Amino acid sequence: MTASEVSYNRKIISEDLSNVEFDTSEDVEVIPTFDSMGLRDELLRGIYTYGFEKPSAIQQRSILPIVKGRDVIAQAQSGTGKTATFSISILQSLDTTLRETQVLVLSPTRELATQIQKVILALGDFMNVQCHACIGGTNLGEDIRKLDYGQHVVSGTPGRVFDMIRRRVLRTRSIKMLVLDEADEMLNKGFKEQIYDVYRYLPPATQVVLISATLPHEILEMTSKFMTDPIRILVKRDELTLEGIKQFFVAVEREEWKFDTLCDLYDTLTITQAVIFCNTKRKVDWLTQKMQEANFTVSSMHGDMPQKERDNIMKEFRSGQSRVLITTDVWARGIDVQQVSLVINYDLPNNRELYIHRIGRSGRFGRKGVAINFVKSDDIRILRDIEQYYSTQIDEMPMNVADLI
Amino acid sequence: MNEQSSKKILFNKSTLFSLKAELLKKQEEIQEKKHLPQHNLENFKPAQQTVKKSNRTDDEQKKSLKDNLKAVDAEEFEACRKSKLMLEKKAELYKHLSDEAGNSQLASNFLVDFKGKKQETPAKPVPEPEEFEEGVSFVDDDNEWTEFTDFLGRTRKCLKTDLEHYKKRDEELMKSMTNATKDKDSNIDTETPKLPEKPFLVQKTNDYLQSLREKWEEQERKLLSKEKDIHYQDILFDEARIHGVGYYAFSTDEEERRKQMEELVKRRQETLMAQEKAEEIRKKRDELIAARVAAARARQRARAGLPPEDPEEKKKDFTTCLLEFLNKQKSEADKKAKEEEDKKKEEREKERQKYRETYIREWDVGKEGVGDKVKKFREMTQEEYVEQQRAKRNDEFAPPQTTSHDRSKYSFDIRGNKLATDTNKNDKNKSWSDVRPVIAPPPPIIGDVSEVSKTQKGLYFSTKNTKPVVKYKNFVRAEEPSPINNELSEEEEDSVVEKNKPEKRKQNSNYVEIEPPPTYDYYGPNTKYSRIEKPFTSDLREAMAQGSKRLEPKESNIQLPKHYDFTFE
Repeated sequence: MTASEVSYNRKIISEDLSNVEFDTSEDVEVIPTFDSMGLRDELLRGIYTYGFEKPSAIQQRSILPIVKGRDVIAQAQSGTGKTATFSISILQSLDTTLRETQVLVLSPTRELATQIQKVILALGDFMNVQCHACIGGTNLGEDIRKLDYGQHVVSGTPGRVFDMIRRRVLRTRSIKMLVLDEADEMLNKGFKEQIYDVYRYLPPATQVVLISATLPHEILEMTSKFMTDPIRILVKRDELTLEGIKQFFVAVEREEWKFDTLCDLYDTLTITQAVIFCNTKRKVDWLTQKMQEANFTVSSMHGDMPQKERDNIMKEFRSGQSRVLITTDVWARGIDVQQVSLVINYDLPNNRELYIHRIGRSGRFGRKGVAINFVKSDDIRILRDIEQYYSTQIDEMPMNVADLI
Repeated sequence: MNEQSSKKILFNKSTLFSLKAELLKKQEEIQEKKHLPQHNLENFKPAQQTVKKSNRTDDEQKKSLKDNLKAVDAEEFEACRKSKLMLEKKAELYKHLSDEAGNSQLASNFLVDFKGKKQETPAKPVPEPEEFEEGVSFVDDDNEWTEFTDFLGRTRKCLKTDLEHYKKRDEELMKSMTNATKDKDSNIDTETPKLPEKPFLVQKTNDYLQSLREKWEEQERKLLSKEKDIHYQDILFDEARIHGVGYYAFSTDEEERRKQMEELVKRRQETLMAQEKAEEIRKKRDELIAARVAAARARQRARAGLPPEDPEEKKKDFTTCLLEFLNKQKSEADKKAKEEEDKKKEEREKERQKYRETYIREWDVGKEGVGDKVKKFREMTQEEYVEQQRAKRNDEFAPPQTTSHDRSKYSFDIRGNKLATDTNKNDKNKSWSDVRPVIAPPPPIIGDVSEVSKTQKGLYFSTKNTKPVVKYKNFVRAEEPSPINNELSEEEEDSVVEKNKPEKRKQNSNYVEIEPPPTYDYYGPNTKYSRIEKPFTSDLREAMAQGSKRLEPKESNIQLPKHYDFTFE
């Protein structure tokens, strides 16, 4: 929109955007180093000690607009530092002397919310920042106490956060930024109402930041409802898959053969760490049991487990004590474990976006990764569709797959 | 070896040699036995696990050997397998502990220095703390010793007097192990024939991990119990993450952490200062060298008989001068262009900013402060304003809406009642007869009494509904009555062409047409005849439009933009 158009379009109108193609905004500055971003000293130290040296493409482009206070829609390939992008921006725009919640980060799973808390605390280790993970499945009283103690940033899941807001334990008057990680998931049917509920409690015109590896058109369409003239940093879908993640498939004739294939691959799985995705919780349980019966050491995690157990499994996997994790799509988005280099889709994902997120559990921040899809003969069509949609290549698995990990 | 230890040791060269020889012999023996088929581990394992199993350490193999010797019949075979798996698990624990990557806190629970142990011969058996006493007593040369098989399938030896005690311990162990596995994996049903193996497998992951879990839980409890700041280290939980080179694991103790942080800051400043100093020194040195080089050159020139070099004078030929000048010009122009562009950008940005400030998000509507903002800052569009005014207007003053309906909503019935103003509301309940258009009867014909005779002569009567006729004596017939239009118009517009229009209009019109009141114009002497004859040229709206247009230039010369022109379309 040009300037002249702007002045005459001030009314709220529901335009039909279904035919509009969203592009990366013009005038997005690219800043090649962290040093030249004008970040505070303590934050810079945190960034470097965490292991970042040079900002990734998304970090070069999005940090500054977010710090400036603009609404930003940021898309980038999996494992390229999106969480760090908004974490750095948040930390830069915080007033640590003000002991009140200033930023709210919402994410779809508890594990992800906890991980974001960890990243923020790591990057802000020299800043004395307080960040709380406000997630379901934990003790309400502890949550209340932690929030009362004073938290600069709250990273949570929508349900518990809304609960805390309604109880007036989480005061929203100082909140100046709302970040939706995995934004497309958060604005999907299941979560959208909850997001709306939370949003209604925030001060009007709060800065909103949307982050995800996948941002389907219908999500971009609705952003005008809660964002003001956002800056978009987008990725074309044919550039969404990473070069570093090699994708393969294994054709199996019958479902039962998948198990045998997995057993054959076990040695490859344990080279570093591996994640195996099934489509249902029941199947996760079933497969775990079967693997254990066959004397394979595996651990498993899904949404029906008690939170304590989920936490423990996560810690074990993060510490490298367990190497093979069988799980559902609860693990598909955002979880970052550096050593994961192999993802197996025991079942093909239910949509194209999930495929990107699942295979993105490997190949973190420039590392190599391998994704192996188990496909029955009727699944191959779906796989070809995915291949075409993202203009990528999914070959039949070679014998030397272990060398690629 | 144990025999020797119990005796008094004679320490000389020959004993050392014989000891060494004995050791070598034993090791050879073991190597031989290892290759016997019943000790081949692969025989007991599913094929998929071969690679994993083959990397087992020597000490665990030695242990398994001892047990395997007795595994002859089927029953023992099963027991042996169990024990081997157990030992394997132990070996893994030991391996972890002796590994450098092993957790130091966990290692501190044990009395053995595993790191030191690792450097010694790998053939040494690694004792497990709980079973330490049992491990020592495996020499069977006394009748006081007895054998028993424990829960894990291991054949144990102990003094007969201690048998009772060990049996009890074994039972306790069994209880604790089965319990631990049951509550962990309650979600996985255990109806398979391989029942005895499953708890073991789960246990395998549990045994070491359980201690880790306990440690984590302890950490979490600590976090919750204290009202204190939480830092990265508090929630790291042994995550295997590669950090940057400058990474430093702060203490989880607040006081300690503060000290460390201070130290770090101090060191940092020291480093910075040192860097500065080094830079200064370097600069000084460079200057010194440069001066020395210049002096040397001057001396050389002097020796060659040349005049001293003038440092300021630099040879510049014309082209370089020109180039420089051009470059300067170019850069200036670039700078100017850039400035201009920046200015434009800034302006655009300002405009955008204004737009952003006035923008109201749909999800914000209704929030505190948002409503006020509308009143204060939001400028309505013309359309909106018109709509708003329309909504406020009393319906009775609204222009008739005839475009969609066949008749005006301001039509009246014969008795003068307003007809169906609320047709829209009750349309559903009304029948056609209620809604059908009722048109007022035509106005009476006005004429002279004398004219009556022409139509009604003699005694002629009829029931036929004739048009009402009003008759006046001394009736002066006016010309065809026509509405007044453009009375204010100064010029006598040519009207001959449109003379027919009134007729036409009358035919097409659905309006109730009321005759203009009798005025002097009609009844008086025809002073301005042509005026009366002036036909009905336009409807009211057009007239208004024309009128307003005419007024415009007089009042102001501002031409309203097109979208503000909302008069009537």
